[in-house]
Amino acid sequence: MFQSVYTARADADAQRSRADWLSLIARAPQELLESALSPHLDTPIEWLRRPETGLMMVQARAGGSAERFNLGEITVTRCTVRVTPAQSSVPLVGVGYLLGRSHRRAHLAALADALLQNDSFHAALSAELLRPTRDYLARLQAERTDKAQRTKVEFFTVARESSGAEADEREEV
Amino acid sequence: MAAVDLSTLGAGFSDLAIGSQTVFRAALHALSHPGRIVPVPHDAKTPAAAQPASAAILLALVDPDCKVWMSPTLAQSDAPSWLRFHTGCALINDHRLAQFLWVARGDPLPAFGELRQGSDADPDQGATVVIDVAGIDSTAAEGAWRLTGPGIQAVTRLSVDGLPAQFVEDWRRNHAAFPCGIDVFLACESDVVGLPRTTTIEAIASAALEA
Repeated sequence: MFQSVYTARADADAQRSRADWLSLIARAPQELLESALSPHLDTPIEWLRRPETGLMMVQARAGGSAERFNLGEITVTRCTVRVTPAQSSVPLVGVGYLLGRSHRRAHLAALADALLQNDSFHAALSAELLRPTRDYLARLQAERTDKAQRTKVEFFTVARESSGAEADEREEV
Repeated sequence: MAAVDLSTLGAGFSDLAIGSQTVFRAALHALSHPGRIVPVPHDAKTPAAAQPASAAILLALVDPDCKVWMSPTLAQSDAPSWLRFHTGCALINDHRLAQFLWVARGDPLPAFGELRQGSDADPDQGATVVIDVAGIDSTAAEGAWRLTGPGIQAVTRLSVDGLPAQFVEDWRRNHAAFPCGIDVFLACESDVVGLPRTTTIEAIASAALEA
């Protein structure tokens, strides 16, 4: 019984970490994907779903709690590959879902997802793909924040200083 | 929905557009010439529990707006996850609401009268039933049918291995409901036969054949 609880938790962890790396791969720049995957590009693959581009509706909520509404459609490219690496006989299935219409990037993302599920490739790809992507995204975020901060304006109002007025205001809303 | 095990899932058409159009053409041909045995060329890796021709037909015809019902043998196999992965269709448990029904070899047929019949205004809303059978033959004398109706110049002869005996009677009732009713595809390994609701089936006794 303990065994099953343990495996269930391990599965949940594995799923969470896969979700983590999928979100990273989806935003990785193509050069990084190409260079990190260059040793694996000649691995034979089988397409379960060839890259295809379509639209997805993005839904949003104002303030995170209001009624959901359709914000707009985004272009998404997806594909699914099955890879059987030379060293193992277990087929790995990887999916690539990403913004935009680059079939090549979707292909690389799916390949990366498949290989990351194999322990013998995980460490190397982690170091060459996931970590640089994480750094790249952090740098991008920092640049954007920095740009926004430079034009930040602080508004001081009378109402803000009086807590009573603020509480009244909130009630009206 | 439970996660699908993709590591054993078969691939779809290698070329989505050409593959599905070729199979669509075969399905169209089969319904235009009821009773004619039409080959279904395709390169999809279809589920083991189903006849390859029927799987290819559904792969080509079904899309995310379709509601598909599968007979128990298929529902317990990898066929539902295969079809859902490749087409995005909805799988339902109530055969009365389905637009497409897929019946495995040997599974009992759903009662045709309970399926979607369409209406006089929208007869195209009638269900399409794809039935896997063991074999189809246009030359065998034993248990043959005489088919007549639109799309058949004079008479087409057909014998089907693996359909219940009451099929001819069920079909007569389905035909009588015209313009409403259901359409049927009978599929064996690589061929398909179309039976639109306009076709009449007459079972010929083997004695009559000899005469």
